[in-house]
Amino acid sequence: MSKNLLLPKPHEILEIIRETEIEYTFRVEADLKVEHGQFFQISLPKIGEAPISVSAMGDNWLEFTIRKVGKVTNEIFNLRPGDKLFMRGPYGTSFPIDKYKDKDLVVIAGGTGVSPVRSTLKHFYQNPDDINSLYFIAGFKDKKSILFEEDLENFKTKFNTIYTLDNEQVEGFEVGFVTEHIKKIPFDTFEDYNVIIVGPPAMMHFAALECLKNGVPEEKIWVSFERKMSCAVGKCGHCKIDETYVCLEGPVFNYTKAKELLD
Amino acid sequence: MSYSVSVKKMNEILKELQKDYKVYAPKRFEKRGRYSDTDLIRYAEISMVEEIVYDEKADFSPKEVIYPITQTLFYFTEHEYKESKVHDKGILIFARPCDINGIKRLDTIFLENGDQEDIYYKRLREKVKFILMECKEGWDTCFCVSMGSNQTDNYSLAVRFAENNLLVEVKDEAFNNLFANEKTTDFTPEFVTSNQVTVKIPEIDNKEILKKVHDLDMWESYNSRCGNCGACTSACITCSCFTTSDVIYSENGRAGERRRVWASCLHEDFTEMAGGHSFRNTPGERMRFRTLHKVYDFKARFGEEQMCVGCGRCTDRCPQLISFATTINRLSEEVNKLKNKKVSQVQAASKEVE
Amino acid sequence: MNHDINIKELQKNCFRQSKVPGEFMLQMRVPGGVIEARHLSLVQHIADTWGNGQFHLGMRQTFSLPGIKYENIEAVNEYIKSYIEDIEVELCDVDMDVNDKGYPTIGARNIMACIGNSHCIKANIDTTTLARKLEKLIFPSDYHIKMSVAGCPNDCAKAQFNDFGIIGIAKMEYDYDRCICCKKCVETCAHHATGVLSVEKGKIVKDTCCCVGCGECATVCPTGAWTRNPKKFYRVIIGGRSGKQYPRMGKMFLNWVTEDVVLGVIGNWQEFSAEILNHKPVYLHGGHLIDRAGYDKFKEMILKGVELNPEAEVADKIYWAETEYRANIHVKPACNTK
Repeated sequence: MSKNLLLPKPHEILEIIRETEIEYTFRVEADLKVEHGQFFQISLPKIGEAPISVSAMGDNWLEFTIRKVGKVTNEIFNLRPGDKLFMRGPYGTSFPIDKYKDKDLVVIAGGTGVSPVRSTLKHFYQNPDDINSLYFIAGFKDKKSILFEEDLENFKTKFNTIYTLDNEQVEGFEVGFVTEHIKKIPFDTFEDYNVIIVGPPAMMHFAALECLKNGVPEEKIWVSFERKMSCAVGKCGHCKIDETYVCLEGPVFNYTKAKELLD
Repeated sequence: MSYSVSVKKMNEILKELQKDYKVYAPKRFEKRGRYSDTDLIRYAEISMVEEIVYDEKADFSPKEVIYPITQTLFYFTEHEYKESKVHDKGILIFARPCDINGIKRLDTIFLENGDQEDIYYKRLREKVKFILMECKEGWDTCFCVSMGSNQTDNYSLAVRFAENNLLVEVKDEAFNNLFANEKTTDFTPEFVTSNQVTVKIPEIDNKEILKKVHDLDMWESYNSRCGNCGACTSACITCSCFTTSDVIYSENGRAGERRRVWASCLHEDFTEMAGGHSFRNTPGERMRFRTLHKVYDFKARFGEEQMCVGCGRCTDRCPQLISFATTINRLSEEVNKLKNKKVSQVQAASKEVE
Repeated sequence: MNHDINIKELQKNCFRQSKVPGEFMLQMRVPGGVIEARHLSLVQHIADTWGNGQFHLGMRQTFSLPGIKYENIEAVNEYIKSYIEDIEVELCDVDMDVNDKGYPTIGARNIMACIGNSHCIKANIDTTTLARKLEKLIFPSDYHIKMSVAGCPNDCAKAQFNDFGIIGIAKMEYDYDRCICCKKCVETCAHHATGVLSVEKGKIVKDTCCCVGCGECATVCPTGAWTRNPKKFYRVIIGGRSGKQYPRMGKMFLNWVTEDVVLGVIGNWQEFSAEILNHKPVYLHGGHLIDRAGYDKFKEMILKGVELNPEAEVADKIYWAETEYRANIHVKPACNTK
């Protein structure tokens, strides 16, 4: 019988890190080749499957940051280290970090959109010589929804960071949406560069428009889409946008393609 | 070779075939239709010629034979997942050319898209042999000729139902011996060559037009007409979308199954993500999505053929009396208007230059 | 003009007294409210020749022809012979001799019905055919009875306001594997009916106790997971009435009974009425008769010889809810009670 592409495999949970009241990071044992920006179908008996992006990776482990919304992800919060997490993957396209090498990189992320770019950020944090400069704009709704606080602190030491909260004043954070801070990026001083934008659909839309307004060419912008998926292998149809399957051709798209994807 | 076979003899042959095959055909379920005292005709196992409804169009397509509405993918306990199994017989399906062509579209999705085969589809699909039901006239909602799906040579047997006998063409030699003692004829199946309805496929040849098609007012007219029920996609031979979910067998139990169930892009929750965000929020947007999938983007992706085969079941089954043929033709007209507008703008512009 | 007319006799002959002395309105029976349109020419002829040129769609689905002068009644009665033959004898198989004297009685009123499943997408039964079968059972009888047949529990036929209201219901069957959990049935049941459906484990579950058998779930189901059991079932409502004193909605007497049961019950009506009224057919609503007999006695008599189907449910007791236009309307001076 041919390979059963929908059958998940168990992976041991090594550690559970509480990021916020409703967001937890699960570190699971996994010896798999994964690229930055890819996702897995994470499943739990009783509930079902959901596509979750890899938020960090290391030798024999992967991290997934999961938010307590919807019925799929709630059940995960009852698990403890040593329990098994069933999953299949990795799926989808990744951020082309080879293309980012030796250039400037701008990462604009909003809310849970920080998760899919976190492994990319960590990669350049560990390999700062691979990149000319890295500008990181991260936006959260308020203080209690700030993710990866330790990482944010560390990133300050090697990256140019702008952290912002939508409508709360907290030390170390600006106030306002990420889009308002894009003009602070010195795009005209870069020789060659790329921009990654990840976040809720409206945030990505307006952030991309703001980048274009600041003279960023379309082909330098990279986005990551989030869609409902049941299979992640091009069969179930939920993530299709015109002739494009987000699970197959995405979730990471160059903006030249992404701008044509109209739901 | 072709044969003339009596109904009695054909029933004997069916009996023989049933040793190795499950035989499916459109079957009448009396008074089980949507409305009181109407019948439902859908695919089910049959054992006699008399059960086959060959002179009416089935309400549902044969896709449910190889792509069941509810399908268990695997069973699970706390510690393992165990793949579900299927029967070990072959499958014979009495089908019209449109449906046989429609299953080719399902093959494309399940066996080719994403370069990985869907084993749950494949394990049933590879058992299938078709018995073509000759279809010379079609019905008032058919537009198979416009879609080029009125003909096929993908069959093992072909049958014409006559008053007291059947004419059978045997293409698959494996079945020759069953007909060895029957009277030969020169029967080959004929195909419908024109329908009462013709559709014109919209020529969407660039992304600029596509974007304008998205914004057409015509989609909004469906906001008050379409009830989001998904009768169209359920009846469609080519609709293949599904949703998976896990079911446990008892409240305290830890054993259960993961299953997939047909989904419909017309349903409100088709694009809804955990947290409640949806990408297509009106019936009009969902109607546009379905229409473009059937007559634009499947072909744009796979290159060969449109997804829609023109079986017309979506029209037959729509409780709101939305005709898909009319929808396609409306879209084609709108696309033509968009193109003409562009041409006249270009002409006007070049005149100004002159 | 000097009139000496026995209006009681004319009423029995289906001619209703007009406020214009000497004029009458003929009420022609249309059992189940459906007949061939060709009969309209006959109706028009009567209106144009003997009536005032108009006709009223009677409140109980009769053709009502006002303005017929007393002296023309004989001619009219002669003229409607063919109609009575066509409708009562041919169409409804009523056992009666048709003569030149018009309708023999007005006792059992015209049986009303909605259009039913010959047309309506909501209906569960063929109301017309049932109404015609019932006509054969109650006509021509001098005992009063008002009946209406509704195709579904929506009750456009106002079965709830008749002596006997018969409502077509369906036993709904659910094919678990065909269900795609679109929730349309859940929504429509909550919106139109009793909200007995809900989602459990990706499929639909039903609180069978409270299903009214309307069939809405089947009309919205995209996959044919919900279907009607082909066997026809009926709900029988009794004792509903309008009136100046104490109108009331009927109450459920039988639920999930077959047509045989319905026909058996209605077949017993005359005997029940005769017994309760001491064999004197006077105009009295069915509800009053049931009151006079007492529900237990009614139940015993009306179900006499009727074999209930296994699914049948019968009301154990009935508590009426009347609209008393005057408080304590039933409390009367003891010396005046009959």
